[in-house]
Amino acid sequence: MKPEEVTPVVLRACRDAGATDAVVLVTEEEEAQIRFSNNNVTVSNNLREMSAYVFVFVKGKKAGTNIEDMSKRTLVTTAQKVVEAAKRSPGEGGYAPLPQGPLLYDDRLMNSEPVTQDPKDLMSMVREAIDAARREGAERVAGSMMARNIKLTLHTSADAFGTMERGGLEISLRAFSGPEASGHGLSVASTERDFHPSESGSEAGRLAHRAASPIEGTAGRMDAVFGPMVVADLMQQVGRMASAFHVDSGMSFLRGRLGHEVASKGVTLWDDATNPNSYGAQPFDQEGLPTQRKAIIEDGVLMTYLHNSTTAAKEGVESTANAGLVAPSPFSLAMSPGGRSLESLISGIDHGIYVTNDWYLRYQNFGNGDLSFIPRDAMFLIEGGSIGASLKELRVSDNVLRMLSNIDGIGQQRKMVKWWEVDTPVLVPAVSVKDVNFTRPQ
Amino acid sequence: MEDILEYVVQLALKEGATYAEARYQADRSESILLKNGLPEVTSFDTKRGIGIRIIAKGGLAFSATNLLNKGTLSTMVKRAVRSAVASRWLRKGGVRLSEADIVSGRFETKQRIGFGNVPMELRAELLKEADDLAIEAGRMNRVSVPGRFLSLDTWETEKTIITSDGGHVTTSVPRVAFTAFITAAVDGNGSEQRIIQLGESGGWECAERWDLPLRIKEEVGTLAMVLQRSKHLPAERMDVILGPEVVGIVSHESCGHPGEADRLLGREAAQAGDTFLTRSSLGSKAASGVVNVVDDPTLPRSFGYYACDDECVKARRRFLIKEGRFSEFLQDRETAADLDVRSNGSSRSVAYNREPIVRMANTFVQQGDHRFEELVEGVKRGVYIKNYTEWNIDDRRYNQRYVGLEAYLIESGQIRHAVRNPLLEVTTPALWSSIDAVGKDLEFSAAYCGKGDPMQGIPVWAGGPHIRLRNMHVGGGA
Repeated sequence: MKPEEVTPVVLRACRDAGATDAVVLVTEEEEAQIRFSNNNVTVSNNLREMSAYVFVFVKGKKAGTNIEDMSKRTLVTTAQKVVEAAKRSPGEGGYAPLPQGPLLYDDRLMNSEPVTQDPKDLMSMVREAIDAARREGAERVAGSMMARNIKLTLHTSADAFGTMERGGLEISLRAFSGPEASGHGLSVASTERDFHPSESGSEAGRLAHRAASPIEGTAGRMDAVFGPMVVADLMQQVGRMASAFHVDSGMSFLRGRLGHEVASKGVTLWDDATNPNSYGAQPFDQEGLPTQRKAIIEDGVLMTYLHNSTTAAKEGVESTANAGLVAPSPFSLAMSPGGRSLESLISGIDHGIYVTNDWYLRYQNFGNGDLSFIPRDAMFLIEGGSIGASLKELRVSDNVLRMLSNIDGIGQQRKMVKWWEVDTPVLVPAVSVKDVNFTRPQ
Repeated sequence: MEDILEYVVQLALKEGATYAEARYQADRSESILLKNGLPEVTSFDTKRGIGIRIIAKGGLAFSATNLLNKGTLSTMVKRAVRSAVASRWLRKGGVRLSEADIVSGRFETKQRIGFGNVPMELRAELLKEADDLAIEAGRMNRVSVPGRFLSLDTWETEKTIITSDGGHVTTSVPRVAFTAFITAAVDGNGSEQRIIQLGESGGWECAERWDLPLRIKEEVGTLAMVLQRSKHLPAERMDVILGPEVVGIVSHESCGHPGEADRLLGREAAQAGDTFLTRSSLGSKAASGVVNVVDDPTLPRSFGYYACDDECVKARRRFLIKEGRFSEFLQDRETAADLDVRSNGSSRSVAYNREPIVRMANTFVQQGDHRFEELVEGVKRGVYIKNYTEWNIDDRRYNQRYVGLEAYLIESGQIRHAVRNPLLEVTTPALWSSIDAVGKDLEFSAAYCGKGDPMQGIPVWAGGPHIRLRNMHVGGGA
């Protein structure tokens, strides 16, 4: 059955079985990925899928399921089963009726051109990236490139109905100059026109070449410049922890801080799925509400948590159109740019460290934001406002709120980041941060 | 299903593949989630489809679909062959597969108490009882427990795999998993969190064995103790005893991961990373001579259990470190061919739509000969870190950090008061070479190990006995 035929069948069966509200989200997806390492293609992955996610409320009792067999019989019996599962759920969680449709969505967000799935085209883009990295001095290059076309069809029992078709291209690659010197580059775009594999390769190669022969860094509190990939990881943390689900679960350092300063003045973080040029743009959330542009942090102050209808009703506020039927989540984060160039951020530091990438961020305490993460790829000493020696083996062991509040410079140029370690698209500049705690093995 | 898989394999060979492998995988799961005492959602899913892996003109390709009609399967086979062939312009040499103990047959893990006999209401009641006891334990210990997130999952993984070189297996493994995230707080002394992950292969009897309500009650009691009674520990050099939970994460992160042959060959370099080991590391010193680290998929009841891997290679125990020396890398048939050895059955895929890659199963330090009391008696001044909160490690698996949660000072061979968040920040060689004694106990924790692109979170056990490390730098916590 086609998605448009699937959703009415499932909704009718849910209603007939006694659901108060129901949502059906049909996903059709086609994906091609090329993984490469040591300047060679490692494997080509291809995927074609269609599935329907069904979520039902029987007042405050909720259940969800996934359907992959689109025969009418399976759709009906599964719908009946999921309603029955909700009815049998003991006790009621929060409940708010689904937003009443029909609802209007921004046409610009409904469709974008599909991207190529032709393996020859994709190989050609990968080759561009590898060649560019090697031209900059990289010895070996590894990474992955993905081309995805996705169609979503959403239909709710409250008569919200929408479809969205979008393409996406992502390349993430790492160039090496010796076993301990590397640089990372990436390009993420909705269209082939905005996709720049060659530039990502050049960036990775340039950083790797410059990071050659790293020396062990020294522990201590120092001023730092965090490149966009590090800032993206930190802002992804803010976006996730702003989810009312995590706040309510006691898993968020933003709990109890609404209306308070959580970052330095000048820091503004948006969740914005409404920009058609943005990766992660989407016309509706999973309850069918038209997406919104909202500031999570504005000029350093925490403005809102991210809500679906149920979490919003519990707090007595309006939904921010961030459903997630169980947990609200951000769609596409964007930090407002500042006025400084990267060179200016670096030149403002007498003795510090420039970190270009990070990974393995883990919390010691979700509630207060104590954490550590590991600088990865190129990292440099800053001496007298200039980039100096390449460094290795340091860790940032600090507190996320403290670091956000110590941001004292924001870059002008922003980069869209999405890769293995950052799965929410984040548009961010580089920043300078005062007094960051670097540690190392003793 | 065998007919369809056979059709896929034969079609791939006809299209020009020199090797073909077709895997049907169905994961049927049921989950229940309780947040702060209220049921958040009940869910059940079936994810099933076919993954096709082929080698053509020396290129490796993987295709997957959940649209199980011949037309789509044919398209996906042809797409795999086409993309493998297209990669020849960007590849030196061809992908080869090693010799291996290829098996045929059916391997089934039985449920003593079938999931179908345990209605969701009963599962929810179990979680509710655990939540009630968490509240009660908080009240008894004068702490608040503002964050309580409990989830219980059961699922069955069925796979049928046919390869063009004679492999033909059907496997069935049921699993049970429990995750708890608990926050306890006390006025003026902050908060602490505990993440508990339990997992086994088997039926509902696993969940019954765990006695979840009592376990949660005890964990809240421990959090309260840490909040109310633990003292600051100044940074200094001292001996360290690590509990099985910490030994498990150490074994997994700084022995299992660096021992994965695909990292050695650079295949994961841009994502999960490389390894500090080299091809010539085998036989070199890895740890003190009392240390043996193994990875064993065949442990009965284990979360990472499998009888044969996703290339139809018979599973077996692998010694990563034997008597203090690097002994073996984890290999699939692709990496083994590159390194001129035989596969040791490490190829795993988390779902039908994921390429099988080199993975750990159940990684642990083998038992030694010391009782826990003997380990403690041999410490003049040290710290016992029973479990942990934060951890991380660099992508070459060399520079790592573990922050203790439940931990105690040891003086003159006696366990004294609790200490708050002691931390070890240490290199891999320094950590493993400092071990002077290994306990005779053995415990495991469950985890989902993340690797691959797209990400594959795969069930594993990690564990070991208590171990003692001499003269470590221990950082002071809060």
